Formats: sequence, C-alpha cells, structure tokens
Amino acid sequence: MSPRSAPCPTRCLSARQALVAVRRVLLAQFSAFPANGADLYEELKSSTAILPTGSPSLDQLLDSGLYTGEVTELMGAPGSGKTQVCLSIAASVSLGLKQHVLFLDSTGGFTASRLYQMLQAQAEDEEEQAVGDTALSQLEALQRIQVARVFDVYEMLSALQEVRDRLSQQAVSCTGPLKTVVIDSVSAVIHPLLGGRQSEGLAIMMQLARELKMLAKEFSLAVVVTNQVTRDSSTGLLKPALGRSWSFVPSTRVLLESKGAAWEEATTRRSASLAKSPRQPTGMQVELDIGNSDVQEPSPATPTEGL
Amino acid sequence: MGDALRRAESGTQLLARLEGRSSLKNLEPCLFAEEGSPVHGDVIEFHGPEGTGKTEMLYHLVARCIIPKSGGGLEVEVMFIDTDYHFDVLRLVTILEHRLVQSTEEMIKQCLGRLFLVNCSSSTQLLLTLYSLENMFCTHPSLCLLIVDSISAFYWIDRSNGGESLNLQEMNLKKCANFLEKLVREHHLALFATTQTIMQKSTSSAESFFPLKLQHEFDTDYRPYLCKSWQQMVTHRIFFSKQFNSGNSKGFTVVSCHLKKNNVVKRSFSIKMSFLYSAKSVLHS
Repeated sequence: MSPRSAPCPTRCLSARQALVAVRRVLLAQFSAFPANGADLYEELKSSTAILPTGSPSLDQLLDSGLYTGEVTELMGAPGSGKTQVCLSIAASVSLGLKQHVLFLDSTGGFTASRLYQMLQAQAEDEEEQAVGDTALSQLEALQRIQVARVFDVYEMLSALQEVRDRLSQQAVSCTGPLKTVVIDSVSAVIHPLLGGRQSEGLAIMMQLARELKMLAKEFSLAVVVTNQVTRDSSTGLLKPALGRSWSFVPSTRVLLESKGAAWEEATTRRSASLAKSPRQPTGMQVELDIGNSDVQEPSPATPTEGL
Repeated sequence: MGDALRRAESGTQLLARLEGRSSLKNLEPCLFAEEGSPVHGDVIEFHGPEGTGKTEMLYHLVARCIIPKSGGGLEVEVMFIDTDYHFDVLRLVTILEHRLVQSTEEMIKQCLGRLFLVNCSSSTQLLLTLYSLENMFCTHPSLCLLIVDSISAFYWIDRSNGGESLNLQEMNLKKCANFLEKLVREHHLALFATTQTIMQKSTSSAESFFPLKLQHEFDTDYRPYLCKSWQQMVTHRIFFSKQFNSGNSKGFTVVSCHLKKNNVVKRSFSIKMSFLYSAKSVLHS
C-alpha cells in the first residue's frame, strides 16, 4: 500500500460549511421574504389611496374610485368611450389631487386638446380658485400628465421598466409622485402576438401582466388598462379580449357600452356596468355622458386683468 | 449504519413531530366531500375560471384560521404565498371586522399577526422561497396551513422558457411540487393551492395529453395542464363555477371531489360581506 496522508477531516468540514454558507447567501439574495400581516396592514393603511375618476357615477360603480395597488380594466367595443374615460381619469387625478399621471398611448387616440377641454370642464365644476388662477392651474395639470406613445409590446415593457427605475430611486425629479398609470390600450399591443401554436405571445402577455401588477402593488399605483371585447360563443355574452389567461389579471372590470341602437343619431350617452369586482356585487350599471363626441378646437384661456 | 443515519431526524423535526400541529378538521366542513377533512398531509386544489370565488374562499379560510378560539376560529398561523400579486389585505380586514364580535384595532392586528404573506415573481423564486421557508415551519409550530395562490401563474412563462423540451418546461414546477410534498409530509401541514382554467376543454379526449379517468372530470370544464408530479400529489380537487340563474348573478357553485375515494359533492354559495354560506348538496360518488 503506497503511503499517503490521511484525509484531513477539518478540510472536509470546511468544504461542507462553505457549501452551506453559499446556499444561505443565495437564498437570502434571491428568495422572497415573508411579511407579517399586521405590518402589511399598517403599511397599506397609509399608502393606499382611492382616486376619483372625474365622473361621480363611475366612482360609485367602483366603490368610490380607483384603488391603488390594483389593476382596473375598462373593456368595450370601439367607440364605446374608453379613451374618453381614460382622459377623464388623467385630468381628474392631475387637477384634483395634483398627482402625476403616466399615459401610455398605443392607439394614437390621445389628443391633448381634448384633455385640455376636460381639464377646463372639471376646473369649472370646482369653483374654488380665482378666475386668474385657473389658466395657470390647468397648465400645471397638463404638465403633470406624461404621455408616451408606445406601439409595440417591447416599447411598452421598456417604458414600464423606466417607470420602475425612476420610482425605485425615489428621485424627486420633475415627475414627482406618480400615482396612476393609464394604458390605452393593452389589446392593441398584445393582440398581434397571440394566435398560432407558439406560446411566446402568451408568455410576453403574462410578463406584461406581471410587470403591471408588481408596479401596482410595490409602488401603490392605480393601473388602468383598456381592452377590446369579444362575444362568448356558448353564452353570447360580451367578454374581454386577449383570452382566458388575461382575464385573471385585472381585479376590477368595467364594461362600457353605447346606449341606444345603431340607427339612431350619434349620442354621447354610454352605460358602464361592473363585470368583476373584489368589493361590490357585479351587475351594477350606471350611465355616463362622455361629452361632445367631436373634438372642438379649444379657445385658449385668456388671462384676465388680475394676472 | 447508513440506514440508521438516514432515519435520524434533526432536533427541530423531532420537536415538530412531537408537539403536533393543531387539527384543521373543522376548517370548513361544507367544502369537503368527506367527513373530517382536511387532515394533515392533504393537498387541496381549487380550480376554476376567473371571477368564480376562489380567492374569496381563501380569504374565508384564512379568516377562520387566524381568528382566536374565543371568536370562533382555530387560532392557527397561515403562510400565504401569493404569486399573482393579488392579495388584498384590506378585504381580509373587512371580512375579519364582520366576523369578530368586538372588532377593535387591537384584535384585528392580533389576528393579522398570525398571517404571513410572501410574493413570488417567478417559478425559480418560488422554489428558492420554499427552501428558505422550511426554516420557518420548524420554528413556528402553530403554522399548519400553507396556501399558494396560484400555482399555475408561471405556466406560460415557463413553457416559453423551456423551448421545445417538455421536461425543461415543467422542471421548475416539478421541483416546486416535490418540495411542497416534502414540506407537507414532514411538517404535517395542509396545502391549499389554486389553479386557473386557462385551457379550453378539448372536445375529443384523444387530443388531451392526460386522459380523463374520473367521472367528475367529464362534467366540469377541467383540462389538466400542470405537470404530473403536481397532479399526483393532489388529494382533493374542488371546482368553482358561476351559476347562471335568471335573476341571481351572484351565485357560485362548488363541486368538491375526493380523488382517492372518488366521492363528489356539489354545493352552491353566495358571497355577502361576511361570506354567508348556503349549502345545497347533491351527493353522488
């Protein structure tokens, strides 16, 4: 038997210890930590807010407004008023609460002039400020709404990543406290990816969904998305587009429909019904008026003698 | 010599085994097809399309567990793994306020102190989180309920990451399922997991990858798509669906199946503020 040194027990022990230490470090870095329910409740009590949508009847439908930390979906056929409601939400949050709004537009339906019209209409309702201040406050409200035009899903994901980076750094920049993200519409960027036998489209959709929900939960944002509708083949009811997997994503879903038959003259009345809600019974319905259906050129607000 | 070493358990495991976990027998008798369910080691799957009350039912179970015995609850701790970022603490607080006789802030906080919540954003993170939670189960003997909502959340992402190979696609979930089974067995827990109905039921059974063997699977809109390891560890499967009555749009139906004994029970319920329950049972096996 050739002489050889006996295996050193201390060396074997330290190798195992090193392995255990590496495992502990990896787990600490990559696994999620459990939070206690009581701590979470304390945190949520201070950070959750309910944002008004600009329309009292819609607020009533949503149990007093949009809840932060959740994804709310507005679904409807083309022309049912989804973009108008989104503009109204942006105007209300910016003017009323003086909070920042991020508007991701993927359909090209965003018009600043229509938004300005809504701001003017909402400012008139408030009657709080002196006449001279309204023009300035409306301009400031416009500045608080940031619009990004994203026409495919990768641009949308990178826009959301940018928001996440900004919020993580908590830099007090010109963007200020962001409370609302409005996405009009999510079906325009996801629909081209679906179909066919590959599952990559569905994977990207679920990645976008997860990103939206994580943003909403971690930074206490209210996320509003719009979606198309399709008709269910078996029951004949309207259901949201983008399939079953997407239907699990929003916590609240509102269906917007035109009132009145197609052959009647164009009306601005719409009906909003609650299709899914974690707090209210579904089936509630309210009427909305989305204002003038054609966008007029706004007359610029003239400063008065007070300025 | 090797056998004896393997059979030896650590001190914490011994403590966990001897101290015992509280019984969950009276958790929700209406929900199960069998008397005296759930017992330790049970894995219960909630399956159903969206908006059918699965998460509401979980809130109901959590409330029942964390309320102290004086308030009519079981006073046990609950670990809730949320992969959907869906959990609404304020909704749970509303339910607690309606359940407790004296719903002071103190009481609510005390009840919520028995709930632990974890968020996971990928199946890899879920696996790593389960590994790191094992320690918690050893140190908290009153932690006897583990809830995963939902376990099918990463299905499409995993499937796309795995490419062509089915093994690679299912690898993460298989490891999670195996580890969950180990946790449930060693620490005497009960596991509730929700899965979502994301596949349409194929009209021809020849097309389906997993052949449907049991009677209840033909009745309900169930098409199994998760890995075999998960399918085999489930002991109870409960199907949720909406009731389409003419006037009442708020009703939900629950079909509860005990997979080993092939008992099936069908009940209906409705959600009110404090979660009222109306049970009409149709029993058939």
